[in-house]
Amino acid sequence: MSGLPILSLITFTPLLGALLIAVLPSSQPNLIRRAALGTALVAWVLSLILLVAFTSKQAGFQFKEAVDWIPSFGIQYKVGVDGISLLMVLLTTTLTWISILASFGPIKDRVKEYMVSFLVLEVGMIGVFVALDLFLFYIFWEVVLVPMYLIIGIWGGANRIYATMKFVLYTLVGSLLMLVAIMATAFAFQAAHGSWAGAFDFEQLQRFAASGSFGNNFQLLAFLALFLAFAIKVPMFPFHTWLPDAHTEAPTAGSVILAGVLLKLGAYGLIRFAVPLFPYAAHTFAWPIIVLSVIAIVYGAIVSIVQPDLKRLIAYSSVSHMGFVTLGIFVFTAPALQGAILQMINHGLITGGLFLLVGMVYERTHDRSIAKMGGLAAVMPLWSTVFGFFILASAGLPGLSGFVGEFLVFVGSFTYAPAIAAASIIVMVLAATYLLWMFQRVAFGPVSDFLSGLGDRLTDMSRVEFMTLAPLAALIVVLGLFPSLVLDLLNGPVQTFLAAAGVAVGG
Amino acid sequence: MNWSDLGTVAPIIAAVLTAAAVLIVDFAAPGRRAPAIATALAGLAVVALTIVSLSGHRETAFGGSYSLDNLTTFLDLLFVAIAALTILFAHDYLEPRRLPIAEFAAILIFAVTGGMLVAASADLLLLFVALELMVLPGYLLAGFAKHDPYSTEGAIKYFLLGSFSSAILLFGLAYVWGITGSTRVDVVAAALANVVATGSIQPGLAMGLAFMTTGVAFKMAAVPFHYWTPDAYQGSPTPVTAYLSVGPKVGAFAIALRLFVGALGPLKADWLPVVIVLAALTMTLGNLVAITQDNVKRMLAYSSIAHTGYILVGLAAYAGGQHSGITAILFYGAAYTFMNMGAFAVVTAVQRRPGVSSQISTFAGLGRRDPWLGALLALFLLSLTGIPPLAGFWAKAYVIVAAIQAGGWLTALAVLAMLNAAAAAFYYLRVVVYMYMREPAEAAAPLSPGLLFRVGLAVTGIVTVIFGLFPAIQEMASRAADVLRG
Repeated sequence: MSGLPILSLITFTPLLGALLIAVLPSSQPNLIRRAALGTALVAWVLSLILLVAFTSKQAGFQFKEAVDWIPSFGIQYKVGVDGISLLMVLLTTTLTWISILASFGPIKDRVKEYMVSFLVLEVGMIGVFVALDLFLFYIFWEVVLVPMYLIIGIWGGANRIYATMKFVLYTLVGSLLMLVAIMATAFAFQAAHGSWAGAFDFEQLQRFAASGSFGNNFQLLAFLALFLAFAIKVPMFPFHTWLPDAHTEAPTAGSVILAGVLLKLGAYGLIRFAVPLFPYAAHTFAWPIIVLSVIAIVYGAIVSIVQPDLKRLIAYSSVSHMGFVTLGIFVFTAPALQGAILQMINHGLITGGLFLLVGMVYERTHDRSIAKMGGLAAVMPLWSTVFGFFILASAGLPGLSGFVGEFLVFVGSFTYAPAIAAASIIVMVLAATYLLWMFQRVAFGPVSDFLSGLGDRLTDMSRVEFMTLAPLAALIVVLGLFPSLVLDLLNGPVQTFLAAAGVAVGG
Repeated sequence: MNWSDLGTVAPIIAAVLTAAAVLIVDFAAPGRRAPAIATALAGLAVVALTIVSLSGHRETAFGGSYSLDNLTTFLDLLFVAIAALTILFAHDYLEPRRLPIAEFAAILIFAVTGGMLVAASADLLLLFVALELMVLPGYLLAGFAKHDPYSTEGAIKYFLLGSFSSAILLFGLAYVWGITGSTRVDVVAAALANVVATGSIQPGLAMGLAFMTTGVAFKMAAVPFHYWTPDAYQGSPTPVTAYLSVGPKVGAFAIALRLFVGALGPLKADWLPVVIVLAALTMTLGNLVAITQDNVKRMLAYSSIAHTGYILVGLAAYAGGQHSGITAILFYGAAYTFMNMGAFAVVTAVQRRPGVSSQISTFAGLGRRDPWLGALLALFLLSLTGIPPLAGFWAKAYVIVAAIQAGGWLTALAVLAMLNAAAAAFYYLRVVVYMYMREPAEAAAPLSPGLLFRVGLAVTGIVTVIFGLFPAIQEMASRAADVLRG
């Protein structure tokens, strides 16, 4: 392997860009916008290089870097990727440049602060996915919090301050409990080895866990603390109430990143840390978690039907879609987990696209209520076509990527418990209901009085706007037709996950 | 006494001479601010140099009552930093209000000298005298704006409750002296170890322990002995509040280390439950009340109570058998000093013009009005919240690690501390909301803090970040904590 620290390069390129932008004069917003986009594109290209250089057949983590950071506690700066984290990094870098491009028009105030926040946010997100030291993971996890707090709070909608505070407090309660769990885990390791060396190192901890060294009661408590942190982030029912507020009030790009990446942090945490480190507890709590997942799937879909606000509808549909992810993780079968990870990516692409599309309408109308829309197909034909495409993708139309993920979760959970699979299949009907009904009310029929009152302001999608959606649409088609592109990367990590989770099944 | 003792106490002598020199300079050039400030800062630099030149030594002076060791060095340096920062920040506040800086600096340096003596006390009597030397100038400082009724009110409350608690503490010390027959810390510890080994504690000792705990809890402003704090903090001139929130607090924890860990260490199983309860109450109540405050100074006062609670968790971890609890206390004290003084400094800058209140609405739009001050206040508040990678995060992390290692009830205490930290985010971030997400009520002029002020702010800001990225001071705190290993 080459000596180039490519993961650190990807992680900290946005930070360099943020520092550079911080010293640019605020009076030149266009220069700042281009610098931010350029930085995000560099990070994206670097992540593509990473994809090419990645060997999918090789087990374990690749491109590892490790440097001692706080030796007295054995805390390292240690990063590395496997197939799962590689895909998440790609999702992050892709959505970030798209979001920054999509912010060119809507964000006119305090552009510099906005772009700096966005790039710092990217550092945190990539860092979470590549960290192999629990402590480093926690640090990056918290780094994500502050820029998102600012993005919602400064550039958000009317009720932004309530929404951002709720977002921060929910997340912080979870993450601080996670810190306690991480410390306790490291201490259990230290107590067994008599030294702090490696106590936060994920690979060593995993070997320690594989030998069954964490006591059962310890596992239950530590798992619960981690699970709470991740479940709030996913968000799982009943910890989801921050999500509709945050999604609705965030600026468009903020919603894209929230839905596209931030929700995946929680699911990633469950797959990477919570289950492999504490398999006994994961199996003990599997049933309640599966039940909560099914509730989330059904509840999210039903509540979506009656939402009067476009963004809120998509937000609640996220609760439903993310329910498939947690369901896929906790039935402990290979297809279900593959489906869950694929669903994480699909949801990022599809929901990200939907938020972008709704943001475009909001830019023109300054309104998001479904009741005021109608007949957009007549005035914004291109927009309506693309919107229809994403709606179908979200509803799980075969041939598009959304279908494959949910299908795999069905298959995987059917072997585990047919009733669960049956219950969640009904939701596909509900999903089609709320999505298509919304699409019908927004796009078809006569042009509403509200919209016709806007006159010339209601222009169709611009070329830049189309450019933000085209890559997402292309990926949705490609992954829908050739899911093996992603699934090949996942074979190794999925087997590793099941082996780690299987410890308790045998013992 | 032999003459070499004077070398051992050189930092104390240098500090007293500095305070005297400031007064003499003011006498020679009455009312001139620059010479007084220059003298004070130069003198403090000399004090710092003498402390550093003596670092690494371990010796006692004056018949074993004064102890020079790594713990003394650590705390002394912290006290000097507190004094220097307070003087740097005070000028901008005192000048527009026509309050004298020379008296302020001299009184402050006397107070800090008291703190340094507390840190070095190896004798219970010296400990008490040093404590009084530390707090008496504090009463004067609290009432420094003598024409302001709030300042006077705060000072009187502070004085009355402070004297009361000193008396209670002294009463407790008397019991210990009566039972052990000595006031020397090491002799007391040995005698108490004997008592513990031979059986149960006599009622007298329990009484003494109760009185001492109460006295020290008053000084720390631990709940339920905190009532004086908010009024004293809110009424005092803001730079004094900055000092009061860290100086006497570090002093109180110095007492706790020398008295509870040093002398009463053998009884730790007996005072552990009390400390756990105090810590839980202090964190929770401090935070809950801070949430409801609309005045930033008062909010920071209650938050300082909450931070006392977190530090007490470190003390509880020590009593639970983890020596790293002491390291955590020292690191917390250092980190808290810089981030909290920084936060108060920005409040001082906002209040530079006389008559400006410290209501939260005053901070609306600060991020636009003065981007640097806004960004720094945000930094300090995030650090106080405990967001990594800033100093405040490590402070909490060390305390939590120590508590989790101690196990048992202390794990529950660690969880409670973390839940409290999440609640605290609400009121700290609320200020950030006002600074960045609300517009100012009227077009407010940009703030233009003076040079000294900028230097002080830069130091606190840089230290808050450096402690966060490279918590190397933890090594120093750990060496200081080793002094107290039995």
